[in-house]
Amino acid sequence: MPLVIIGLSHHSSPVTVRERFAFAETALPGALQELRAAGLAREAVILSTCNRVEIYAVSDLPEGQAIADLRQFLLDYHKVREPLDGEIYARGGRQGLEHLFKVACGLDSMVLGETEILGQLKKAYETALRHRHTGGVLNKAFQKAFHVAKQVRTETNIQRGSVSVGSVAVELAERLFSSLSEHQVMVIGAGETSEKTARALLSRGAHSILVSNRSHERAVELARELDGRAVSFDDWAAEFPRIDILISSTSAPHCILDRVKLEPLMKARKNRPLLLIDIAVPRDIDPSVNFLDNVYLYNIDDLQAIAGDYLRQRREEIARCEAIIAEKAGAMMPSASSAHVGAGAPLSGMGKANA
Amino acid sequence: MVVSWWTDRHVFLLAVIAYGLSAVYSLFLWRKGFRKHDFVNYGVLLAGMILQTKAMFMRGLSLKECPVHNLYEAMTFVDWTIVAAYLVIGLWPRVRYLGAFAAPGIFAIGVFALMPGLDPTHTGQPPFAANDLVSLHAALTLLSYGAFGLSSVAGVMYLSQEHDLKFHKLRAVFAVMPPIDRLEKITSRLLWAGFLLLTAGLALIPFLLKNRPEFHAASDPKVIWSGLVWFLYLALLVLHGRFAQSGRKFAWGAVASFAFVVLTFWGVNLLSPSHRF
Repeated sequence: MPLVIIGLSHHSSPVTVRERFAFAETALPGALQELRAAGLAREAVILSTCNRVEIYAVSDLPEGQAIADLRQFLLDYHKVREPLDGEIYARGGRQGLEHLFKVACGLDSMVLGETEILGQLKKAYETALRHRHTGGVLNKAFQKAFHVAKQVRTETNIQRGSVSVGSVAVELAERLFSSLSEHQVMVIGAGETSEKTARALLSRGAHSILVSNRSHERAVELARELDGRAVSFDDWAAEFPRIDILISSTSAPHCILDRVKLEPLMKARKNRPLLLIDIAVPRDIDPSVNFLDNVYLYNIDDLQAIAGDYLRQRREEIARCEAIIAEKAGAMMPSASSAHVGAGAPLSGMGKANA
Repeated sequence: MVVSWWTDRHVFLLAVIAYGLSAVYSLFLWRKGFRKHDFVNYGVLLAGMILQTKAMFMRGLSLKECPVHNLYEAMTFVDWTIVAAYLVIGLWPRVRYLGAFAAPGIFAIGVFALMPGLDPTHTGQPPFAANDLVSLHAALTLLSYGAFGLSSVAGVMYLSQEHDLKFHKLRAVFAVMPPIDRLEKITSRLLWAGFLLLTAGLALIPFLLKNRPEFHAASDPKVIWSGLVWFLYLALLVLHGRFAQSGRKFAWGAVASFAFVVLTFWGVNLLSPSHRF
């Protein structure tokens, strides 16, 4: 009985299309029930994240027919009338299994090697399992996918390092401070990236967050979201002695912090190490402050250079990951017959799988 | 002492060879950017330390007392202290690369100790008759120099990591190194340990001079030098603890102070009538 996968992802479609196909978490059991009640699948799992919507199914129908019917189900369920041949893809047999493994390993993710997708995949599988929409084939395939993801994580460097600005900032903070729980963070300028960076620091145990913004209301709002405290924009320097990490992303046309201003503040801080993350363009912090002792300044380019280098290292690991995946998929499904139906490709000619 | 075939010096030579291998391997690790945890260097230094302990034990047994009577023995004692302290600290994985920074220094001290002329035959007529108090004084002060030595290694590691972080070298992020605040703590604690040991060692001087009116501590270059070293480290610790002299300046202080100790140790011993080996 073949495993078939049909769906859309960030590779094939923009968010304006993907959002039309998203399944609400509460709607998943109903959608799975509908899918099976219609006789389109014997077993099914639906994965719906911000970057992909995929139906993993095992059907009694011939593979080509199953894929065509699942595609129609996807369109009908979301009341989409366009055929979207260029956006919806399908994979069957061994390629379908390899696709599942790649998704689990984060190889198909927007951020290569990210681990969040594995949690989302587990959750999707558990939802289907709990409502008895899985069986022997999908249970085996998903359990194997989780096992392969663990093996890939252990044996390769695909998940090593930070590939986002926020996580690079956390990594830098951890190069300076043994434990973030003893250090306070200040955010100046409540932009999206600074918020993400602050959240990343909080998730790694940062003591607390102070937020300062020209619009005090926005500062209060963000401080509430981050469980921190808002500080008046005119008074942020007064809080400086207590902080060890500063994230700045204001839209000021000039520097808000320079060497002359920072020198006395460092004395007030008793020269403790200070990490300055300047993600504003134009920059908020005069680069010359980096020449002060115990001050470490990183701007957006510095952070992106580190993230880029980590990403390059991850890309170098893809071949090793794919070799593990091919080996595991091959062991589970020895037949090489498989099919890959890409955007707009004909749905006939799908091979049968042995799963 | 007559140096015959296969003496404690030969065993120490093997230890120095192990330290040399560790130093070469450390260079390789540095070139690789310290990206992965490494146990080889720790193992090689452990092997060297076992050999050195054996060598010191052989010497101690032959003398029937703590082997701290000449420059060779003093240097091996300092070397041993640095390696032993590292092997304890290096049990914590993130600090294990301290060994890579320490190995060249350990090797250099070992090679220096093996130089001819530093290990003269014991005449049995040292300036001070060997007794437990003398051995304790020597052991405490040499242990303190070992602690100062390792603190300077931690200082070098701090300066390297600080430089990489300051100038945005990717190695600063990719290397499996401890955070710089931890390196500063290690440097500070080793300095405190060394300072307390030195204080204890120097505190024994009045007892050593009891009934020895021919020795004038105030005019002995080694005693003056030791007092200077004591004040130097006291100043470093006070500046760090009380006047927020932290980070790079503190690390440089630890490195420069130990450099002063190493570069003047031999000369001041030659000048001192009470420490002339």
